[in-house]
Amino acid sequence: MSNTQLGFTRRYLNMKGDMFRYNMAKAKRMKVCYLFLAPYALLFITFFILPICTSIFYGFTYYNILEPARFVGLQNYINLILQDEVFLTSVKNTFVIAVITGPLGYILSFLFAWFINELPKWLRAIAVVVFYAPSIAGNAYTIFSIIFRGDAYGYLNSFLLNLGFIDAPILWLTDPNYIMTVLIIVILWMSMGTGFLSFVAGFQGIDKSMYEAGYVDGVRNRWQELYHITLPSMKPMLLFGAVMSITSAFNVCDVPRALAGYPSTDYAARTVVTHLFDYGFSRFEMGYASAIATLLFLVMILCKKVISAALEKVGT
Amino acid sequence: MSEMNYKSNGTLVLNGKKIRGELVATETSAVFTGKKSTTIEMAYPEIEVLKNVRNGDMASTITVKMKSGEEYVFMLPNGLKVYHYMDKMWDNKPRVRSRAEELHRLAELRGERIVKPKKHLIKRRHPNRSIGGDIGIYVMLAVVAFAMAFPLIFAIGSALKPLDELFRFPPTVLPKNPTLDNFSDLIVTMGQSWVPFTRYITNTVFITAVGTFGHLVIASMAAFVLAKYDFPGGKLFFGIVTTALMFSGYVTGIPNYVIMSKLNMIDTYWALLLPAFAAPIGLFMMKQFMEGLPTALIEAAHIDGASEFRIFWSIVMPNVKPAWLTVIIFSVQSLWNNPAGTIIYSEAKKPLVYALQQIQAGGIARTGQAAAVTVVVMAVPIFIFILSQSQILETMASSGIKD
Repeated sequence: MSNTQLGFTRRYLNMKGDMFRYNMAKAKRMKVCYLFLAPYALLFITFFILPICTSIFYGFTYYNILEPARFVGLQNYINLILQDEVFLTSVKNTFVIAVITGPLGYILSFLFAWFINELPKWLRAIAVVVFYAPSIAGNAYTIFSIIFRGDAYGYLNSFLLNLGFIDAPILWLTDPNYIMTVLIIVILWMSMGTGFLSFVAGFQGIDKSMYEAGYVDGVRNRWQELYHITLPSMKPMLLFGAVMSITSAFNVCDVPRALAGYPSTDYAARTVVTHLFDYGFSRFEMGYASAIATLLFLVMILCKKVISAALEKVGT
Repeated sequence: MSEMNYKSNGTLVLNGKKIRGELVATETSAVFTGKKSTTIEMAYPEIEVLKNVRNGDMASTITVKMKSGEEYVFMLPNGLKVYHYMDKMWDNKPRVRSRAEELHRLAELRGERIVKPKKHLIKRRHPNRSIGGDIGIYVMLAVVAFAMAFPLIFAIGSALKPLDELFRFPPTVLPKNPTLDNFSDLIVTMGQSWVPFTRYITNTVFITAVGTFGHLVIASMAAFVLAKYDFPGGKLFFGIVTTALMFSGYVTGIPNYVIMSKLNMIDTYWALLLPAFAAPIGLFMMKQFMEGLPTALIEAAHIDGASEFRIFWSIVMPNVKPAWLTVIIFSVQSLWNNPAGTIIYSEAKKPLVYALQQIQAGGIARTGQAAAVTVVVMAVPIFIFILSQSQILETMASSGIKD
């Protein structure tokens, strides 16, 4: 290593050391901040960070809570991908649900929030409640089991029978050909959640004078206005909504369990999370379940990175 | 120059004689119309000064000093309210008609028909929107809103149906003879349960109240320092919390179960409460909202020598009430809807939603009751949301993630 390089490295290390000392001094001065943060940080680390670390750890072990964990290396992951056909079905189903309901739910939330924003104030308040209600209505989605019931008493079946579209009732929730379609409809119904609220609030927060300036500068229709004025000022909400969409798209679990049964016919409605539930809480194979959870984490974080990179380019 | 209109039952003192009447004036002119046809007009070149007249004031005497040396004193026993011409009361005055209005009046007298310009059906708030597009949006919103509301209406309808209508063919959406039988049956079933039903209700109320309160205090404390102080590690911590927004209870459920069993917390309320205290969404919302508070407010308190805790408790917290409400509602929603089936197994510790779901799972015979349960469970969060919508939206306006 030449002399100049050595000098450069030393100076770099010195600088790093200075920054470290500076930060330590600052931390000491602001120790009251850490005091404020401590209760939350402690609980957060215990119940959100530690679980992720442990699931990464247990992913490499065989663990059933009763016996101590036994290290098995990559065996869980190998089994998952090469032997567990149900897992592959569940990945396929989750992928289909996530790819359809994630982006579609996200775009629909945004569009409807935008349309609702154009309504008069009193109508807007009602519309927000109507659109948001399904996502907070607890387990109201169980009502779909009556709407999509397999016999002639099911609402949809009787409707279609009366109109003469079908001759015999369709087993919407037990026929593998229809289960996924029904699930996607129900999940889309519930997709106007926190992200949607954030969009509604975001639209209301945009500076009105920007639109006026837009008229003057020749923004001719609503689409131009959306692309050039609204979208750029909504970026933070868009990212928040995306995070919420990813969460709900990948964590589909209750709806298939309630509607399609658990387990469902031919595992046609099995998702990654129901699979994880099956191994974790029915078979107590915590090691295997942890491996599934770890994979899910990775995919979700990856998705968020991709979306925030894509949003960087919006409206510029 | 703003016009003003002085309106009161005034008294004019003229050469020692009192005349009652009404005074109408602007800043530079005044007309006094006496009750006994005494009219005095005073206008700018002659008036030197109008005393005691200021916009928005109350005055009991007004003196008009003319350039000729005459002085009129208006005694105003009721006090004089000075109106600005923009005020509502201005409408009560006989207005000067505009030229167009005068032409209309004359035309009407001659018996001509006047074509008034049509008012727009929809008030156009945005000049660059096509009407066709607006109508399209209205129609689409109506259709989709119906589709969104239909299952909920269906649920309420089913809950109100008597038993024979629940299994009628073809099924109907709304009941023909609505009854509350399903709800009263539900109460009967509740009364027969092995654990007294009030116990479930107490459990849920306890969990929801304690969990929400603890979450609000702990998350607000953390949000305060993260939003208003720049300390090493703060940004990193918040970044991690933002990522953790994605980790729902399902995914962390398995490892959490392991951790809780190690901490001996399975089957205690701690297992429900402690994770609820640290819910990332509450901290996230609180921190984003607190960033909108002016930093000057906190600096001023620092200079006055207030401690950090005092600043937090008596300056910051009262100023973020909309955010409280939002945090409370998110927390209540998640705790209220959490059946906690995997963590709590003692029957006497189960929450209400779990007990209701058990009734719901009772099969065909309980179809009506199941619908009633659905309505009860969904009513609480929706009702809370309706009451607090405007505050929630105020908080959500600062919810974005800034990279």
